[in-house]
Amino acid sequence: MRKTPTPLAPLIAAGATALMMATGPALGAGLDDVVTGHILPGHAAFAERTAALADTAAAECTGPATQEAYHAAFDAWMGISHIQFGPIEDLNLSLSIAYWPDPKNRTGKALARLVADEDPIAQDRTAYSEVSIAAQGLFALERLLYDPAFSSGPYVCALTATVAGALADTAGELADAWPDYAELLTNPGPDNPVYPTEADAARKVYTALYTGLEFDRDTRLGRPLGTYDRPRPNRAEARLSERSQRNVELSLAALNQLADLLATDPAPRTSAAFAAARRRVSELDDPVFAGVADPMSRFRIEALQQEVRDIQTEMATEIGTALGVTAGFNAMDGD
Amino acid sequence: MNLKTLAILGTTALTAMPAAAQVSKSDVLTTYADIAHAGYEDSLITAKALQAAVDALIADPSAEALQAAKQAWLEARVPYQQTEVYRFGNAIVDDWEGKVNAWPLDEGLIDYVDASYGGATEENEYAALNVIANPTFTLSGEEIDATDITPELLETALHEADEVESNVATGYHAVEFLLWGQDLNGTEYGAGARPWTDYASGDACTGGNCDRRGAYLKAATDLLVSDLEWITGQWAEGGEARASVMADDNAGISAMLTGMGSLSYGEQAGERMKLGVMLNDPEEEHDCFSDNTYNSHFYDALGVRNVYLGAYTRVDGTVVSGTSLSSLVAETDAGIDTELKAKLDATMMEMSEMKTAAEAGFSYDMMLERGNEKGEALIMGAVDALVDQTASIERAVAALGVDQIDFEGSDSLDNPEAVFQ
Repeated sequence: MRKTPTPLAPLIAAGATALMMATGPALGAGLDDVVTGHILPGHAAFAERTAALADTAAAECTGPATQEAYHAAFDAWMGISHIQFGPIEDLNLSLSIAYWPDPKNRTGKALARLVADEDPIAQDRTAYSEVSIAAQGLFALERLLYDPAFSSGPYVCALTATVAGALADTAGELADAWPDYAELLTNPGPDNPVYPTEADAARKVYTALYTGLEFDRDTRLGRPLGTYDRPRPNRAEARLSERSQRNVELSLAALNQLADLLATDPAPRTSAAFAAARRRVSELDDPVFAGVADPMSRFRIEALQQEVRDIQTEMATEIGTALGVTAGFNAMDGD
Repeated sequence: MNLKTLAILGTTALTAMPAAAQVSKSDVLTTYADIAHAGYEDSLITAKALQAAVDALIADPSAEALQAAKQAWLEARVPYQQTEVYRFGNAIVDDWEGKVNAWPLDEGLIDYVDASYGGATEENEYAALNVIANPTFTLSGEEIDATDITPELLETALHEADEVESNVATGYHAVEFLLWGQDLNGTEYGAGARPWTDYASGDACTGGNCDRRGAYLKAATDLLVSDLEWITGQWAEGGEARASVMADDNAGISAMLTGMGSLSYGEQAGERMKLGVMLNDPEEEHDCFSDNTYNSHFYDALGVRNVYLGAYTRVDGTVVSGTSLSSLVAETDAGIDTELKAKLDATMMEMSEMKTAAEAGFSYDMMLERGNEKGEALIMGAVDALVDQTASIERAVAALGVDQIDFEGSDSLDNPEAVFQ
């Protein structure tokens, strides 16, 4: 779905912004579309699916229906996980939804402690937000649902329902907070405490898009890739529930949608770069990126990583420049 | 720790400086380099005192000798933590500091640990290697002969072994672990309680392999001293770190502000303080074995203030001072200078409250306990003050018109996808 390109640059001047603020309508179709076509529906879907997950977990604990509901909720999270500004930042909810990477196995240790103590907090969905963030959210649920170390039993059952319930509450809180924040994002102006200019708002969204790609490249792909001599398949994201490949697929799809909505001019090279990377990841047939350890399949994952980098390069030229935002590639590259 | 700042997003308008600037940027940078040199030299002096105490402990183990070594370690941290502000913005320091202050560590690599520690992890195959108990072992497919525990062995074969950052074999925290041992008190009061007999000889030896433990402690301490000697030289007249800072006025000033902002924000407020509160995990303490975390935080913050005010009080009481960054900012915008000074003072006050409570018995790990609102308030008061001062540091960057460098972020403070590694 492409929208009518709107030249943004001439409107960035502070005077024009002030004038438009005074007369009411928001500037920048790009930002409006980002909010109504991406951010708000994405958050609504995440709230809905985590609520369904909470209901299922309460009824069924750790069975296949809960696993299915967990996947649906995680899918929805991938639609918005790159939106790390606004309510999620202000309410400090990010890590309690998804605490990963977790190199010190904080999640496993925190859950093991709760289980060993049969900590009564597992019965209290409301108070659960007090516990270590490592024992909250999607990655805690993954452990409870897929790690054999957490064999089923009444305590783990109650804990699973509570973690799912608390996650649904968090997702609901986030979805409820977005409409007000969207007003700020789509109405920049001198009286706007967060976005005094259109450029500030555009930069915020662009940064989210850019860093979302960065996270796919460096973390979701880079961690399991490790080095050629020392690949790290154990570090793939959500490998217990076999979502590593799927998460990259869904993340790129969501970022592609965001780029389309944000772009104020046609961005054919960016679109082509997205298409190439999305095609490759969908054809990998390697759910947990086990292929990083095999030279024959490793090169495909390395190529995917390069293609994500290509998206960033094209995007900086086609979208970043039009928005008056530049990104310094050299400083980010190399790690 | 792998840290890299990111120069990005937007260009800062170059503010025209007054034609006849009174404050010379080069003088400001000279003060900055002088303070760095004094801070690292003090770190070296106090590390040599630690080295002497360690030698005494190994030669004649006793409870008193262990206590003396611990005391020397605590004193050595005071000047070192004040130098941490030099780490960000100075590549030469950042590349080096992982050897001396890497954290957090999987201490089971080095010595025995409690059963609750667990063994190897998905992330780190060697998290429980226990070099002290094993003279030979295989590491990343390679046979390692650790019969003689030498600084070279620690530095080359063991540190960041298998490319895992938490395999910390050297530096202050490795020494800290060898002196204090694991803190098994959770969020209760109390630090690590390694018995002095872990260094005793013959039948008195506890924990096994006391000779090798002593050899490890000696090697790690000697390496710390030689590493500090090296960095002190880098900041001396003619040293590379000094030359690099002095090479370009604007880049040098930018490095100063980057160091202040990155340490305040992402590293200290985020990774070291807020994340610990969010995890309720005493292992997230920066000095988790010795329970000296409050001092690490306090002296980190003081180091930021030293850089801005252009003054540092040495361990012997000498004051090193000169033309300050503060005076340079004041010349351009007195309001921002006043604001930033006030915020730096506010941070020190918050840090002092935390430190005072900790010294009176409300230790940092108790503050981290789940649901402990008073502890959380003490820590978050300091976190908020650090975040607040970062905003003023950013304004100072803009006012001076030096290159905008984004400060180090933290996934506990902001976008986890924007943690620039």
